[in-house]
Amino acid sequence: MKRMLVVVGLLLMVPAYTRLVAGDLTEERCSTLITELQPGNDALWRTIPWKLSVLEARAAAFKQDKPIFIWAMDGHPLGCT
Amino acid sequence: MVDRESTFAQPEIVELLKTKFVPVAVDQACQRRQKDAEGALYRRIAGQGPRSDFQNTTQGFYIASPAGKLLLYNNNRDPKKLLRLMQESLREYDLGSFAFDREQVQADVDASANVEQDSRYSLKPPAGGLVVRVHAKVLDGYKTPSNKNEAVFQRAISRDNLWITPKEKADLIAGRVPATLQRRIARFHLVDNTRGEPPMWKLGEVKEIHLQVDKGTLVGAVHLETEDGSRGYQAALRGQLKVVGDVVAVFELVALGEFYGEGSYTRNAPEGKFPLAVAFQLADGTDIADAVAPQGARGWLDGYLN
Repeated sequence: MKRMLVVVGLLLMVPAYTRLVAGDLTEERCSTLITELQPGNDALWRTIPWKLSVLEARAAAFKQDKPIFIWAMDGHPLGCT
Repeated sequence: MVDRESTFAQPEIVELLKTKFVPVAVDQACQRRQKDAEGALYRRIAGQGPRSDFQNTTQGFYIASPAGKLLLYNNNRDPKKLLRLMQESLREYDLGSFAFDREQVQADVDASANVEQDSRYSLKPPAGGLVVRVHAKVLDGYKTPSNKNEAVFQRAISRDNLWITPKEKADLIAGRVPATLQRRIARFHLVDNTRGEPPMWKLGEVKEIHLQVDKGTLVGAVHLETEDGSRGYQAALRGQLKVVGDVVAVFELVALGEFYGEGSYTRNAPEGKFPLAVAFQLADGTDIADAVAPQGARGWLDGYLN
């Protein structure tokens, strides 16, 4: 019993991060994930010619005589999430 | 995220934005704080709406004239409602209801062309460095979504950019992944940002990261965990690095492992541990989002880079 407790104690001392948690991240799996994690190029919102600066948008709006449409979020709407 | 799949998936709205408006996308947490002409113009427009307390969020959709007169504020994601409001605003604009002094606006445009920018929020990638696109996705573990918006978050692929300094690029070319780059990847990019703004990892929460180059293959592992153990990520790292002369031609990296926990703005994560993948790939500048600063650098570039 004492020996078992010592073994359990030693196991608990092994840092958790030495465990392999991701399984085999093979070259093939890696390539698949790179492809899988791409946003669709055909997504409609990506075809909108967003500007990244309100000043730049104001200058263009003035030149083209158009109103400005501002999409303002917590975190950048085109990045972050 | 929801906006992309609802409001901006509506073809009539997209068409109007392409042809009748000048669309601009901003992280209002920057614009409402920045002390320069960009911030001043944003606050002038947003301050005319209901969210005029710049200590708090001002997020939403705004329509304004080139003179900065607010025509519309809306924070409702219903595409039908927004389309109607956009059309009404356009009618008013075309009728001349928001006519302005063109000479004055021309003077304002000219005056703001080359003014100093607030360096905390006008971030540019390190000259001579690299920009890498970062996408994350929760691969499994969600319960059946209870509504459409939840379903959008559950299948979301996030987007951020990793900035690499010229010195770190030189190290990569020499076949090394410098410690600063490994830490930055761990702290600011191995996050679950698929449901909103994520908490970044504190330095002490990086329990382990090692990433090496072995004959063009990137291999490593990472262990991240908060002090109270409420959030963590353990993952394997693998990818490829291809250098041609003094050019990094390919930098691809994938983190795949188990994540658990959530942040204040990333609620409704799967219960317990769930598989999270994060993919890194060199940006080529063809996507407007390639120019967006890393979320982790917002207002604190030195802290992000060092």
